[in-house]
Amino acid sequence: MTLTIIVVAVALTTLVLLAALARGQAASSRLLENPAEHIRSVDVVAFRNLVDPDEEEFLRTSLPPGEFRRIQRERLRAAVEYVSCAAHNAAILLRVADAGRRSSDPATAEAAQALVDNALRLRLYALHAVPRLYLGMIFPGSRISPAGIAESYEQMTRLVVRLGCLQYPTRGVSAAL
Amino acid sequence: MTVPLILWYYLWIAPKVLQVLLLGGMVRRGLHRQFPMFFVYTAFQVAESGVLLLVSRSHFGFGEEYFRAYAATKAVSVALKFGVIHELFSHFFQRYPVLAGTGRSLLRGARIALLLIAVGVAALAPGNGANLLSNATYNLDRAASILQAGLLISLFMFSRYFVLSWRNQAFGIALGLGTFASVELAMSAVRLYGLVSGTVFDFVIMASYHCCVLIWIFYLAIPERRAHGALSPLPEHNLEIWNRELQRLLQR
Repeated sequence: MTLTIIVVAVALTTLVLLAALARGQAASSRLLENPAEHIRSVDVVAFRNLVDPDEEEFLRTSLPPGEFRRIQRERLRAAVEYVSCAAHNAAILLRVADAGRRSSDPATAEAAQALVDNALRLRLYALHAVPRLYLGMIFPGSRISPAGIAESYEQMTRLVVRLGCLQYPTRGVSAAL
Repeated sequence: MTVPLILWYYLWIAPKVLQVLLLGGMVRRGLHRQFPMFFVYTAFQVAESGVLLLVSRSHFGFGEEYFRAYAATKAVSVALKFGVIHELFSHFFQRYPVLAGTGRSLLRGARIALLLIAVGVAALAPGNGANLLSNATYNLDRAASILQAGLLISLFMFSRYFVLSWRNQAFGIALGLGTFASVELAMSAVRLYGLVSGTVFDFVIMASYHCCVLIWIFYLAIPERRAHGALSPLPEHNLEIWNRELQRLLQR
């Protein structure tokens, strides 16, 4: 009988989840209307510093073990926040670029495809990195270096600039190139 | 004919009539080439109902022969549904090749986990022992529902995490299948313990299948959103931030 209750509960939860997803599918297009409102600021330099193994080693040798563990936890918590923001921005750019893949201009379509691939990679990295960072919080001594996130984010930044240039050739972004 | 009997025949025949229209619509819009497995599944469902209806109206009635035919067609239908789910996964891997490796791993992992759950549920379920064929059919049905609902939820979660845009048709197919698998799962569990009669079970299953066909028709009939082909403007102030980032990179 307990098994039946569990199975029925799971089935009903699945139904509710499906209804929510169907609603979410309709609402997701709204994200494309105003992506600027949803972008969060990410300081890549600060993030690199937080996950830098040399910096970690320096702190390990300079601080008493208890203090190092406390500081390291704080650093990793901040790193999780950065990764989450980067993944969030990747999600927004993914939607923007996904639409651009169908552009009639081959250069724009190609840049949009590259941005989609990169944003997907970044979210994939984030999926792997966040549990590792939490693991690092539990065991502050373990080596955690999700540097791939920073690289991917920087590459994504370059692709956004490229796509921006293709989209708005008269803007200041072209000067940077 | 009593009202429940009319309703029963309506719920049996109407979805199949709608599915014939669905098949016609798919051929007209070329969707049968994009979703061949779903097309075959739909065609099979129509043919299956035709065969079962003929058997039920013959001298066999709803006896042993009918149940044998039902069990055999059910097995084929379950296999085709798995084919449709696989087609939906492939649809994503084709559109987002970067995720193909991760997606396949997820699919494999989800299959193993769900199979273990399905086997566990089947092992713990009480057997009424009255009829080996009906027991096997209902057990297979329940295990398949667990697997299908689980795989579709995994697919939805996967696409949600990676913010993948669904094509309307693929989303509709998945939504319809997921809805039906969930209802089937709940009802088969309830039926197993004799909490509902066979008639109530049939009514709920047939009504939910009717809804599922309507979902398919709705999503396959509405045109694909093309407005997204136009690139949304990237936020200007953020471009300035990215500009600075790029300059910093170039100055390295």
